[in-house]
Amino acid sequence: MVSLVKGDGMSSQFARSFVSRKPVRMMSAAIALTMAASVGAFGMVSATADSASPSPAAAPKVLRIGTTTSIDNPTIWAVNSASEWGSIVIQYDMALKFGPDLTASPGLATSCDPSEDNRTWTCHLRDGLKWSDGQPITSKDVVFSYNFVRDKQFDYFNSYFPEGTTFTAPDDKTFVWHLTKPSIGPMRPAWCYIVPEHIWGKYSNSTQNQIKAVKLFPNVASGPFVMTQANAGQNWTFSRNPNFWGTKPTYDQVVFQLYTNQEAMVQALKNGEIDIADGFDGPLLPALTAIPNVAVQKVESDFWVSLAFNFGGQGPNAHPLPALKDLNVRKAIQMAIDKQGIVDKVYPGAATPGDTIVRPLSTFWHLNVPAEKVIEYDPAAANALLDQSGYAKGADGIRIDPKTNEPLHITLPTSDDVNGSSDVGQLVRGYLKQIGITVDVKPTTAAKMYDLQQSGEFDAYIWYWSGDPDPNYVLSVFTSSACDGDGHLSDGCWKDPAYDALFEKQQAEFDQAKRQQDVYEAQQYIYDQIPDVALVYPNYIEAYRTDKVAGLVATPAKVGYLTTSYDYASMVAAHPAEQPVTTDSSSSGGIPVWVWPLAVAAIGVGVFLSMRRSGKGSEEFERD
Amino acid sequence: MRLRYIARKCGWALLTLLFVLSANFFLFRIMPGDPIGLLARSTRLSPEALAQQIHLYGLDQPLPAQYLTYLKQTLSGNLGVSIISGTEVAETLASRMWPTVLLVGLGTLIAAVVGVVAGIKGGWTRGSGFDRGSLYSSLLLYATPEGWLGMLLLIVFAGTLGWFPAGGYASNSGAGAASFGDVARHLFLPVLTLSLGYVGSFVIVMRSSMIDVKEEQYITTARAKGLSDGTIRSQHAVPNAFLPSFTLIVLSVGFILGGAIVVETVFSWPGLGLLTYQAIQDQDYPVLQAVFLISSGAVVVANLIADIAYGYLDPRVEEV
Repeated sequence: MVSLVKGDGMSSQFARSFVSRKPVRMMSAAIALTMAASVGAFGMVSATADSASPSPAAAPKVLRIGTTTSIDNPTIWAVNSASEWGSIVIQYDMALKFGPDLTASPGLATSCDPSEDNRTWTCHLRDGLKWSDGQPITSKDVVFSYNFVRDKQFDYFNSYFPEGTTFTAPDDKTFVWHLTKPSIGPMRPAWCYIVPEHIWGKYSNSTQNQIKAVKLFPNVASGPFVMTQANAGQNWTFSRNPNFWGTKPTYDQVVFQLYTNQEAMVQALKNGEIDIADGFDGPLLPALTAIPNVAVQKVESDFWVSLAFNFGGQGPNAHPLPALKDLNVRKAIQMAIDKQGIVDKVYPGAATPGDTIVRPLSTFWHLNVPAEKVIEYDPAAANALLDQSGYAKGADGIRIDPKTNEPLHITLPTSDDVNGSSDVGQLVRGYLKQIGITVDVKPTTAAKMYDLQQSGEFDAYIWYWSGDPDPNYVLSVFTSSACDGDGHLSDGCWKDPAYDALFEKQQAEFDQAKRQQDVYEAQQYIYDQIPDVALVYPNYIEAYRTDKVAGLVATPAKVGYLTTSYDYASMVAAHPAEQPVTTDSSSSGGIPVWVWPLAVAAIGVGVFLSMRRSGKGSEEFERD
Repeated sequence: MRLRYIARKCGWALLTLLFVLSANFFLFRIMPGDPIGLLARSTRLSPEALAQQIHLYGLDQPLPAQYLTYLKQTLSGNLGVSIISGTEVAETLASRMWPTVLLVGLGTLIAAVVGVVAGIKGGWTRGSGFDRGSLYSSLLLYATPEGWLGMLLLIVFAGTLGWFPAGGYASNSGAGAASFGDVARHLFLPVLTLSLGYVGSFVIVMRSSMIDVKEEQYITTARAKGLSDGTIRSQHAVPNAFLPSFTLIVLSVGFILGGAIVVETVFSWPGLGLLTYQAIQDQDYPVLQAVFLISSGAVVVANLIADIAYGYLDPRVEEV
């Protein structure tokens, strides 16, 4: 390479390596014109390709669902994100599945019958079941699936099998639960999907991580669609299962398209790139409702934003505010918090005030606290309660704990995986200031929150709880044993034997109506004892183009998800809208044809002007 | 002498890489939070399963033992397994590398070409309308947050006009590899955003160099010799003024593999930048370590290339 540096004003070897300017100028013009021609050609090809697409009759019917969570690993064994759950729901069946109110409903099995002592449940498969690869589905697949998740410790599915449960398959259409204690067993329903033994049986001796690394394309499952293509970080395609036992879906394919931010997904819905958008926060509601031909579904909340109190005992560094162990203090705090105000200011139009710890999406189990038992927002009454309880205000207006003579001051971490949590924390700070309690809000990461939960180094925190359709899991979080050991689930290690008894009672009840009452009783007890305040139930928002898709079904009925959170009913029932609105250029999904000749002309004009300007310089060079 | 210069530069690069290798390990373990614990809460791992996962990822070992294992595995090409997805990190990285190279490479190339040409013209005709226009535009673009610019383009050209898709690498028809036209349509807005974001720095650097060089004595001599303006510019000024821009270009190439986190997030572009962002949120140590290793290594190598090339381009460098 020759040196580019010249410091003596003398012409160098480099200078002689340059060609004259005039041919350079002509070459530049030629390149520019070639680019213009390419741009024009590209435009023509694009326009031609659009118009040459297969006729409507031949083109597959594709339902495009936008999502903001990725499918990092498409296998059922690594399920974690919302989209991964959605992909499992659309492909697999449970023995008994979630019905319209999220209680047990026939799936692959039509019924499960208990023995007299409720320790043995005999379940019956439907006739003629087949996997997507044509192999028959038998009870051996069911037994294999249950044993596989337990042996390999896939605990999300395994947690539905009480300890000591065994399974047998006396014939191809019958499988039996053998429980050590009376239990509702499969009627929860057991949220464990049935997988083909002839595919996964060969991994019986593999480790969990080896199993998670297995990828099948096309997948083999029993549901209405199976995954046939995965473009990591982009989109995932599910094609219709020809051997699906239920009603044949109208769509040939369902595609999950990933958008890494909700704003982009709004634009994608607007320009018709997707038919359904799954998962928005409240602040985008106005943008969604402003789009023509878009319907919004405000899904009843499947989680609640919680204010959890710490009772200590997690470890040597757990020194929470002692006054929080006083029920009157916790009650005063709840009375001082304006939950409707939190909804209006942080989640306008997209949340409801919270009450109990079983989320409202579990419509059968959620308790709407009776009006006479509701702890109303009443700062004056909260102040009076604290006065009566001996927490007098100091000269600075901050209440003093009579037992410790320390001011009532709460350190309140808020987690960044809860949308709006730090805003909620600031509002709580303001509310508690009115009753003489100071709060130090500390926004932090979810990872750090986990550390705090384990170590107990907080007074109270704002986080969230979700839960299953069946309330057993979320109720178990408040039991005394939930505080035991590493990785404990309890927020603040609240321990109450009376509650433990209520938990056991609902868990042992087999009559669904009676169990509902027991679950209500447990919820009411927690509501009254206030180890945790359910602040708000944020809505989950979905939106879809009414001119593109119709027939969507919510699960649970009316207030639930339109996509694939618990059941695939909506994907089976969905069909293209019968009378699509005539699209205008804003939803054509392509650059209008008139842009291309304009672009070519603009480049051509630019080249012409640059050649004119350069003419004088070229003449000077030629004189040299 | 030149060989000694190259050897010295290579030696420093190697030492830097070794430092990066070590810092890469410790950096992510300083971050608060426990990725396995967080995964346990969301996937409901039992204490036994949690302990098993911790053991599988070696997180129950003392830190020095973890470090030695990490060194041994990394130097043998084993980048580990993602804590969140359970897939091989190398496989994940491989799938994200081409989109990043395409987006950031093309964006850098366009910004460099346009920026250098505009900088040459602006610096040479300092004070002219073109110079003022290009300078102010460059400063404005340089100061404009890429994320905001990207969202603006997205809302106008994707959402309102519908000319381009709102995100992604390609529309999936389930029919195999994406077509050139499809990828190009998806690529247009993110490349435009990136180019506009980067072009300002190239314009400003090149313009400044041209202004400096224009005052040099050899330029005055060339004028005195009667050479044309264009000849002086192209044969005397630009070759000297180009050196800082050359360094900027080579270093920018080195940063390609780091991805463009903000732009990739705005346009849902499945590159390494987006992968990094997601891995940070999930505290997926193996992925973070691998991404940072690759991007740091690329910068170190690009720096080395720039150093060596500089030695050829500017003989004065070797004399230092």
